[in-house]
Amino acid sequence: MKEVRIDCMYETCPIPLLKALKELKKMEIGDILIMETDHSCSITNVIDWAKKQGHNVDYVEISEGEWEIYIEKMR
Amino acid sequence: MQIYQKLFKKPWPYLMGGALLAILNIILFASTGEPWKITSGFLYWGAAILEFFGMDPGKWYYFSVYNNGLDSGETFLNNYYSVINLAVIMGALIAALLASEFKWKKIKNKRQLFFGLLGGILMGYGTRLSFGCNIGSYFSAIPSFSLHGWVFGIFMFIGAWIGSKVLFRYLL
Repeated sequence: MKEVRIDCMYETCPIPLLKALKELKKMEIGDILIMETDHSCSITNVIDWAKKQGHNVDYVEISEGEWEIYIEKMR
Repeated sequence: MQIYQKLFKKPWPYLMGGALLAILNIILFASTGEPWKITSGFLYWGAAILEFFGMDPGKWYYFSVYNNGLDSGETFLNNYYSVINLAVIMGALIAALLASEFKWKKIKNKRQLFFGLLGGILMGYGTRLSFGCNIGSYFSAIPSFSLHGWVFGIFMFIGAWIGSKVLFRYLL
């Protein structure tokens, strides 16, 4: 089980979502993708998208207006 | 508290947003005689900056051949578009503050700055060839029963499709 971290700070839609999509393609099932973002829309669109794809997903606010999104690749 | 959450924090449904934009645009059109346009205002701001540095863009071929949308008495700074554009920025600021989502964003790196500027120049250039952006030449054109809105729309979707492919393959 591998952990991949991608830096999406100061990037706006749709860059964080596309970066996640591209990175997840390269990953194995069970690997975890950690995204750092300060874009509040990502909390909505990346998480909705990952859920729809059937991945396990969670997020925490690491400091004010900055989040880490965790996506576990399930398929 | 729940009403506050619903109204200001959570995104509104697309259908409601679309309907509200349409109604507001109709009100704007009915009351001012002009539907919503954005980028012409930016053109005039650019021209105003050139004017400040002593150039005379008002004499340019572009402004003499085509109807420039300015009424007599209006200047590059003092016009209808400036008011609308400043109001859009103010409205967006108020919405961001009410949702407590206002944040200064940093420039990530030189690469982001370069592509941001390049994209901005391409968009600005394109809007002058098509006499408007996706607001003036699409959102306001189609309800006016103008064919050019549909042509603009078709090519905008083709361009966005190609752009997202290029972005995904080469730039990310």
